[in-house]
Amino acid sequence: MVSIARKNLFQDLPRFIVAQAGIMFAVGLVTIQMGLLNGFTRSSSLLTDSSTADIWVASQELRYLDLTLPIPYERLEQARNVNGVEQAEALITQGSVWRYGISQIAPIRIVGFDPEGELFQPEPLIEGSWAELNNPYAIAIDRLDLTTLDVTGLGDTSEIGSFRTDVVAITSGIRSIVSSPFVFTSLNNATAFLNSPVAAPVSDPPVPPELQPESLITFVLVKARPDENLQQLKRRLEVALPDVMALTQDELADLTQDYWRQSTGVGFILGLGAVVGIIVGTVVVGQILYSSVSDHLREFGTLKAMGSSDWFIYRIILEQALWMAVLGYLPGMALCLGVGAWTLEAQAVQILIGPTTAVGVFVVTVAMCSGAAVFAIQKVTRLDPAVVFKSS
Amino acid sequence: MPFPFMTDIQTDIAAPNVQYAISAERVEMVFGSGDQAFKALKGIDLKILTGDIQLLMGPSGSGKTTLLSILGGILTPSGGSVSLLGQEITGLSRPKLAKFRLNHIGFIFQGFNLFPALTAAENVEAALNLKRVYGREARQEAWRLLEQVGLADKGDNLPQDLSGGQKQRVAIARSLAGKPRLLLADEPTAALDSQRGRIIIELLRKLAKEECCTVLMVTHDPRIIDLADRVVYVEDGMILPEAPSSFTHLV
Ligand SMILES: Nc1ncnc2c1ncn2[C@@H]1O[C@H](COP(=O)(O)OP(=O)(O)O)[C@@H](O)[C@H]1O
Ligand SMILES: [Mg+2]
Repeated sequence: MVSIARKNLFQDLPRFIVAQAGIMFAVGLVTIQMGLLNGFTRSSSLLTDSSTADIWVASQELRYLDLTLPIPYERLEQARNVNGVEQAEALITQGSVWRYGISQIAPIRIVGFDPEGELFQPEPLIEGSWAELNNPYAIAIDRLDLTTLDVTGLGDTSEIGSFRTDVVAITSGIRSIVSSPFVFTSLNNATAFLNSPVAAPVSDPPVPPELQPESLITFVLVKARPDENLQQLKRRLEVALPDVMALTQDELADLTQDYWRQSTGVGFILGLGAVVGIIVGTVVVGQILYSSVSDHLREFGTLKAMGSSDWFIYRIILEQALWMAVLGYLPGMALCLGVGAWTLEAQAVQILIGPTTAVGVFVVTVAMCSGAAVFAIQKVTRLDPAVVFKSS
Repeated sequence: MPFPFMTDIQTDIAAPNVQYAISAERVEMVFGSGDQAFKALKGIDLKILTGDIQLLMGPSGSGKTTLLSILGGILTPSGGSVSLLGQEITGLSRPKLAKFRLNHIGFIFQGFNLFPALTAAENVEAALNLKRVYGREARQEAWRLLEQVGLADKGDNLPQDLSGGQKQRVAIARSLAGKPRLLLADEPTAALDSQRGRIIIELLRKLAKEECCTVLMVTHDPRIIDLADRVVYVEDGMILPEAPSSFTHLV
């Protein structure tokens, strides 16, 4: 079959290029907004990505990952005794202040975990080793936070509470858009930092003491036995441990993501941007298709006079719209993937474009282009085939 | 039968070999309404014999194009009736009319109306596609038709690279796609000089006679009258009983 659509499309190259630029713009806008929303959502519950636990046990006051009250360390031992628990580890997360240079401060979030444990492992580690976190006041920070925290690399120091820290390891890409920079350390170090008053660092600091049953932690991470029913295990934990709430890791991530999405209105804002992109794209494609059809009105009239059905002509216009969609989508998406990679590197903003987003945006692009074809189709529908006999 | 899809409409035709390929009775056409109403055709009776080359002549604005559009099933008359190939078309729905045109009528236009983005061969092939002939079959048939009009060597040219006469040859090849039994042409030589115009009409006449195709042609050009079997004259929306003196002295 002769593709009148494709030939018409490429015949007027400048117009075609304008159309493709418009579609690329729309695809880019929609994809980046979606990618930002994905990135934001994922980022808001980022800490759960470092965990392989099935269940998180927290204070029953918990609102979301970053807002909860402490629980005593003895809950860890209690959890280990609950039937169906294979493994349990403590996790501390709490905000603090980083002091550096001459009276400079920055907010941080201390994350205390068991460096020898298996349920919490911030990955990837690009410098140093987790074992060194057991050294007194040793910490790990992320590559992306080096500038914010004014750290040049391993061996740098700063102050938290009354102690001088020692950077012994560096992670890569563990930075949350809704959280202060993470400072990873051992449970003992974390407790020592958090319990000490903000003061000039003591010289010859004591080795941080072991945690006591009444020491405060934030979460107990629980690994269930294989084939354990997680909902039942949650209930058993809540019965066995006083004043706690147990959530599966997915439930906690969802709760946290919902909280941040709603409290920031980020979905609405980014959605609005996406809608603007779709509107602009529809207008551009609609205008281009309409003017292309207007330019070829005599030919469409000829087809009608020759006896073509309306559908034969609609197919030409829709095929043209589809070509525009595909040829605008491919470079648009490629551009977005490039921008995504670049922003992650340069801005530490995550634009997360997964297969679902890519397919979703393609569907939106096709819908946008075919929707825009409606104007052109209307024009052809109204066209009187008698125009073909008008001379010139 | 090369185009089996035609059968559904052909069966509607009472007599496949009707005496009159075109038969119009008391055809009227009014454009506009109320004060603006303009009667372009005022009761046309016309019968065209099957296989004839029939010319329709008359001054500009006399209603020739309007009549041709009505006889081709493109325009619905305000009054009267039209039969094509023995089939009454006046009451047919728009899609049925379109299908009738698709299967039985070839059109040739003054402005050629070729697709500028398609090559000569593709223009013909697209018309075949429209008639549900596809792929290799359509391509071969397109080139065969181009050969018939003497353009076998220009099939890959775009219309912009063809002369006016060559473009009209492509248009003739296109109009013959699917072997229509009626050819309607509106001033097909108006954009050509008289010598080339005559060659085109000679070609059209030859092909039409070969295919036993009835041709109705509107023309201004009195120098091709000798190529026609019959001529009617239209003036002011009516058919004149005989040739006006302004034409007779030219013939
Ligand atoms: N769509 C239309 N609306 C109004 N008037 C029309 C229309 N088409 C043709 N006419 C008028 O009808 C008359 C006959 O037109 P036409 O059939 O094109 O004449 P011809 O082809 O003989 O030059 C003219 O006066 C023209 O202005
Ligand atoms: Mg005319």
